[in-house]
Amino acid sequence: MILIHCPYCDEKRPEIEFVYGGEAHIARPADPATMNDAAWERYLFIRNNPRGRHHERWRHSHGCGRFFNAVRDTVTDRFETTYKAGEPRR
Amino acid sequence: MSDVLARAEPIPTAPWVGRDVTIRLAPPAARFSLRARKAADVQDALGREVTGKIGTTINGIACLGPEEWLWRAPEGTATPANARIAITDIGHRHVGLIVEGPRAVSVLSAGCPLDLATFEVGRATRTVFETVEIIIEREAPDRFHVEVWRSLSVWLWMVLTTTAGD
Ligand SMILES: [Zn+2]
Repeated sequence: MILIHCPYCDEKRPEIEFVYGGEAHIARPADPATMNDAAWERYLFIRNNPRGRHHERWRHSHGCGRFFNAVRDTVTDRFETTYKAGEPRR
Repeated sequence: MSDVLARAEPIPTAPWVGRDVTIRLAPPAARFSLRARKAADVQDALGREVTGKIGTTINGIACLGPEEWLWRAPEGTATPANARIAITDIGHRHVGLIVEGPRAVSVLSAGCPLDLATFEVGRATRTVFETVEIIIEREAPDRFHVEVWRSLSVWLWMVLTTTAGD
């Protein structure tokens, strides 16, 4: 069982309490109406998908309920760090 | 408002007594979901001490997450009026199960992934039992209170009593 540190509960909790929320730090465009299809496609579908350090969102859904961000290594599945939503990229 | 003539409980009202563990339905209670920015706001609204530490409980009020508390109050407690926080009556959504005895930790650990042996008295948190969401509170070294959605309590009762009977 993987343990994930929730920055709100401030403790390590079992993975089964969490849901994955996709890549982090992708801001919704302020004015989608002015965007062309290619730019909109990039926002909706195009992701970094790195081998190694990945910034991603998680939600402690069966715990405190909050979304937060994490850096996880996609090769080893190890969590390097987790931090609260709204904090700068680590 | 009509008076309650008969209460229909989803699970047996008689305690299930097994070796070193008893599982029973908690008495009826009022329950309120409280939402506010700060613990101090809840404290002002209710006029009692409220914890701001997530995962702990004081005065029957558990801090479940940022800006979220669950208040278990005596049956019949009215919704506080004019409070400047969001209060929702969820009294009929849950039932409580009490798991008590030297084997309480071992029985609950059959489906709950938390390390309950180190889960201190006074702690309370939302978590899961197998696939069912629960809120678990350690009221005493050998007594846990488990809140579960009413319709899921039938399954939880069955699993807990089956596990405890093994
Ligand atoms: Zn959490």
